[in-house]
Amino acid sequence: MNRAAGGPRERLEVLWWVVAAAGAALGLRLAQLQILDSAEYRAMAERNASQMIYQAAPRGRIYDRAGIPLATNQPSFSLIFLPGKGKARQDLEPLARELGRQLGRDPQELLETLEEAEREQSAARLAENLPTATMFQLSELKTLYPGVDLITEARRYYPFGRFASHLIGFMGKMNPREWRERKTKGYRADSRIGKMGLESAFEEELRGRDGGIQMEVDAQGRLKRMLGQIPWEAGSNIHLTIDAAVQKAADEGLRKSVTGRGAAVAIDPRTGEILAMSSQPDFDPNALLSTDPEEVKRTSHDLPEFNNAIAGAYPPGSTFKPIVGLAALSEGRIRANDAFFCPGYFKLGDHVFHCWDHKGHGRVSWLMGLAQSCDVYFYNVGLKTGGALIERYARAFGLGQRTNIALRGEKGGHLFGPETRRKSGKGWYDGDTLNLAIGQGELTVTPLQLAVAAAALANRGTVWRPHYTQKIAYVDGRPDFVQKPERLGQVYATDAAWDLVQKGMEVVISSGTGYPAKIPGLVVSGKTGTAQNPHGQDHAWFIAYAARPGETPSIAIAVLVENGGHGGVTAAPVAKKMILAHFGMPDPEALREAREAERAAQRAARAASVPTRLGLPGAVR
Amino acid sequence: MRAMKAQAGISGRVDWTFVFAVIGLVATGTMAMLSAASTTMMYSAILQKHFVALALGLVLFALTLAFNYQVFQDQSKALYAIALVMMSAVLVIGTAARGHRAWIRLPGFSFQPAELSRVLVVLVLADFLDRRALRVQDFSTVLLALGIAAPIMLLILKQPDFSTALTFLPTITGMLFCAGADVFHLLFVFGYGALTLSVPLVYTLCAVRFPNALPGSLPALVLATAKMGWATLGVLLALAVLSALVWRLATWMRLQVKPLAFVVLPLIASAALLTGVAINRQMKSYQRNRFVAFVAPGSDVQGAAYNVIQSKVAIGSGGVWGKGLFSGTQSQLGFLPERHTDFIFANVGEEMGFVGASLILGLYMLVLWRIVVAARAARDRYGYLVCAGLASMFAFVMILNIGMCVGLMPVAGIPLPLISYGGSSLVINLWSLGIVANIYARRYALL
Repeated sequence: MNRAAGGPRERLEVLWWVVAAAGAALGLRLAQLQILDSAEYRAMAERNASQMIYQAAPRGRIYDRAGIPLATNQPSFSLIFLPGKGKARQDLEPLARELGRQLGRDPQELLETLEEAEREQSAARLAENLPTATMFQLSELKTLYPGVDLITEARRYYPFGRFASHLIGFMGKMNPREWRERKTKGYRADSRIGKMGLESAFEEELRGRDGGIQMEVDAQGRLKRMLGQIPWEAGSNIHLTIDAAVQKAADEGLRKSVTGRGAAVAIDPRTGEILAMSSQPDFDPNALLSTDPEEVKRTSHDLPEFNNAIAGAYPPGSTFKPIVGLAALSEGRIRANDAFFCPGYFKLGDHVFHCWDHKGHGRVSWLMGLAQSCDVYFYNVGLKTGGALIERYARAFGLGQRTNIALRGEKGGHLFGPETRRKSGKGWYDGDTLNLAIGQGELTVTPLQLAVAAAALANRGTVWRPHYTQKIAYVDGRPDFVQKPERLGQVYATDAAWDLVQKGMEVVISSGTGYPAKIPGLVVSGKTGTAQNPHGQDHAWFIAYAARPGETPSIAIAVLVENGGHGGVTAAPVAKKMILAHFGMPDPEALREAREAERAAQRAARAASVPTRLGLPGAVR
Repeated sequence: MRAMKAQAGISGRVDWTFVFAVIGLVATGTMAMLSAASTTMMYSAILQKHFVALALGLVLFALTLAFNYQVFQDQSKALYAIALVMMSAVLVIGTAARGHRAWIRLPGFSFQPAELSRVLVVLVLADFLDRRALRVQDFSTVLLALGIAAPIMLLILKQPDFSTALTFLPTITGMLFCAGADVFHLLFVFGYGALTLSVPLVYTLCAVRFPNALPGSLPALVLATAKMGWATLGVLLALAVLSALVWRLATWMRLQVKPLAFVVLPLIASAALLTGVAINRQMKSYQRNRFVAFVAPGSDVQGAAYNVIQSKVAIGSGGVWGKGLFSGTQSQLGFLPERHTDFIFANVGEEMGFVGASLILGLYMLVLWRIVVAARAARDRYGYLVCAGLASMFAFVMILNIGMCVGLMPVAGIPLPLISYGGSSLVINLWSLGIVANIYARRYALL
C-alpha cells in the first residue's frame, strides 16, 4: 500500500470523530425523546388522534325519607351520524327524507347537516333527547343506513313532576358566566347543571362523570374507527328528610287553595328535619328537559323562580300571639286567668286600635283570648309585657333571622322591637308595642322561620336548624355523610308557661279559630293568622303541630296562603291534609274526590266504548 | 471472460460488513416506506417505483464493483460535462413539482439529476485535488475547488432547491480538509458560508422579534442592510475602511501578519454579505417559515413549526418498542407531514420505537465507519478523496435529516439517503456506495 500517495490521513480521523460525536448526540436525543419523555409524547399523540362523542352521565338520585325516588334519570337517545367514505348527495337524500319524516324536521335542513358532516368527515348530532317511541322507529334506520347510530345518554327525570319544585330545583344549560366558572371543572359547553334548590346546592355531589365514545380521527379530523367506550360514572345519591306523602299533600293543598299561591313547611320538632317544603305557584321540572323545544321555552319563560317558603317575608299576624303569650306568662307579666274586656276596639291616647272582630269578645282570659285570637286581649298583654321582652322571645324563636338552610335565596325577614329600633336610632312607642303584640307592623318572617318556631312551640323550646338532607351516599368511596340535628338556639320559659301556651294552641283547634284543622284521633295544636296586606287581600297563615295522643308531637307546620284571607279558612285545611298524610291517615276529602273521579271515568269509558264497537267492522272491511 | 475472473478475484476482498450494513439500511428503509406510504393515494405506484429503483440500485452497486474505479478519474472531464449538461437540461426540459424544476421525465420514469450531480462533483473534485496534491496548501486550490462546484450549485439554486445546494458545501469542505488544505483557508470558506447563512437567519430573527424596530436601532439597520440598498453599500464601505484601519494599526504595531489577510478577509466578508442578502431576497415564503420556526419555535404551531412538533411527538410516542408497523397514529392518520420522504425517520421512531430508530442510526454509523475504513485502506489518493467526500456527504445529510426529525436542526427538505422514498436518490446512493465498496475491494491491487 502506498501511504505516501495518500493525503494527511489524520485529517480523516478528525472528520470521523466529529461525525461520531454528532451520531452520539443524535442517539442521546433519541433516548431522551423515546425513553425519558415518552409518556408525555404518547399523551400528546393520543390527544392528537382521538375525539370524544360525549355521553352525559346520570346524576345522583334524590330519595325521600322512605326511599321513594324524587329525582332519577331516564335514558335519553341522541341520534348521531358518523360519516363514511365517499357518500354522495343521492345516498344521503333518502336518509334525510326518512329522518325528516320521523323527527318532524325539515329534510332539506337535515340534508345540509348530513352533507356538512360528510364533507368535514366529523360526527354530527342530528337530534338530541329523542322520545322513546321515535327511538324504536329510528333504530331500524341503523340497519338501513350505515353511519346512523343512536347513543344513550342519561337525562334527569322527576317521577312526581310538579313536586317540591323549588326545593329540588331543575336542570338547565349554563349561562356564559356559569360556563366561565366551570370551564376547568370537567364541564362541557353543552352540559346541564342544577339551577335551583338542591340540584344547585349539591351540584358537586350530584353530578357524575360523563362517559363517551372515543373515536380515532386523522389530521383532517375525519373519523377513522371507534377506539373504545369510556363508561360514565353516576353521581352520589342524596337521601332527603322529605316525606313524599306530606310534600304531596302540601303541594296539592296549596294548589287547590283560594289563590293557589303560598308556601307550606313541615318540620319534625324532634330533630329539625324538614318533612315538606312547598312553594306555589310551582313548575314541572320535567318540562324544562322536554323533547319539545317549544315547551322548554314556554316553561322557562314564565318560571316561578321565587321560593315563597324561604324568600317570602310576610308579617306573621296572629300566629305570633303564642310567642307573645309565652313571654308574658313565663315572665309573670300576666296570669292565665287575668281577664280583659274586649269591646271590639282599644284606645291608646287618641288612637283607636280595632279587634279583628268589631263586635268584641267581651271578657276574655288566656285560653279564650288565644282561641278566639282576640286582638284587644293581646294589646293589653303586650302593654303589660313590653316590646323589649316580646322582641327577646321572638329572637329566641329565630324569627327575623336566616336559618342558613342549604338553599340559595333565603331571606331573613325583619325582627321589629325596641332594641332593633334603638340600633337604627329611632324611638319606640306604645303603638308599636300594640302592633307587635298581634304580629303586625314591621315584623316580617318567612314561612320556614315560622315552621321552626312552631316546632319550638311543640318541643318546648328547642330551636332546630332546619335541614332536608338525611344522608349523602358518596360514590367515590368516601364514608356517607349523615346529617345530624343541629340546635340553633333554645327558648327558656317556665314549664307552667309552656303548659298554658300548648293548652291554648290545642284549644285553638278544638274549639277556636283553627277548628278546620281538627282531626279525630290526633292531638292537633295550632294558631291561625291573618297578616294585613296593604297591597291587597290579607295573607292567610296557619301554624300547627300534631301528635298521637300521649306521644310527643312529630310534625310542626307553617302554611301561608297569599291573599288567602282568613287563616282558619284557607290555610288550616292545607295543614290538615299534611298532618293526615304524615300519620298515614286517609284524607276524607281526597277519598271523596277519588271516588267521584273514578265514577266519572267509568261513565266516560262506557260512553267511549260504544263508537269503538261500531267502528271495528269498518276497520276490518 | 476477464471481467468474470476479475470479479472472482476481488470477491474475497469485498467488505461484507459494509455490504450487509447497506443492505440492512435499505431493508429497514423499505419496511418503513411500505408502512409510511400505505395511506397515500398512489401506494401501489410508489411500491412499484421503489422496488424497481431498489433492484436497479443493487445491480448498479454490483456492477460498479466489477471494474476498476479509476475509470471515473480517467473520465473526470466527461463526468463534469454530464453534470453540467444535466443540470442545465433540467432547467429547460425538466418538470416542476412542489415549486422545484428538478425532475427530468423520460418515458417510463423520471429522475432527479441533482442527486447524481452531487456524487459527480465528489468524483470530479477528487480527481482535481489528487492532481493538485503538491499545491493543496495554496488558497487557489480551495478557490478552484469551489469554482468547479459553483456552476452546478448555482444551477441547483436556480431550480430552486436551496437545501440540496446547501449539502454541497460540507461535502467540499470535508474533501478539502481530508486532502490537506490549509485549515485557515477552510475557515475562510466556512466563515463565508456561515456568514452567508447568518444573513437570512439574523434578518428573520430581527423581523420576528423586532417587527417595529425604530429607525437607527441595530435591528432596523439589519433589516435595511438585508434589503440590498444604500445601507448594504454603507456596510460594505464601513468594512473596507475598518480593514484599512486595522491594517495600518497592524503595521504600526509591527505585527507579523500577511498583508493578504487584510484584503482577503474583508473581501470574503463582503462577498458573504452580498450572497446572504441575495439569498435572503430570493427566499420563498416556505423557506422563510423554516427559519422562523427555527429562530422562534412555537410562534406558529400550524405552520412550519407544526412539522417539527408532530415529528417529535411521533418519535417520542414510539417509546422503546414502537407502536408496530402500520399502527403509528401520527403517521397513519396523517399528522406527520412528508412521512415517507423527508420525515420517514419520525415514522421509524414511532412505529419501530427506540429500537428501530437506533438500529437505523447504528447502521448509518457503521456504514460511515466502513467508508472511513475504505478511505484509510484506499490504494491511491483519488480513492481516499472519493471516500472522504462521500463520507462527508452522507454524514452531513444524515445528521441534518435526523437532527431535523428530532428537533435539533432547522427544517430542510432533504431526504434521508437509503431510507426515504425517492427512486433516483436510492439508485444514485447505492451506486456511490458501490464505488466505496470498489475502492475497498481494490485496496491491494487494481485488478
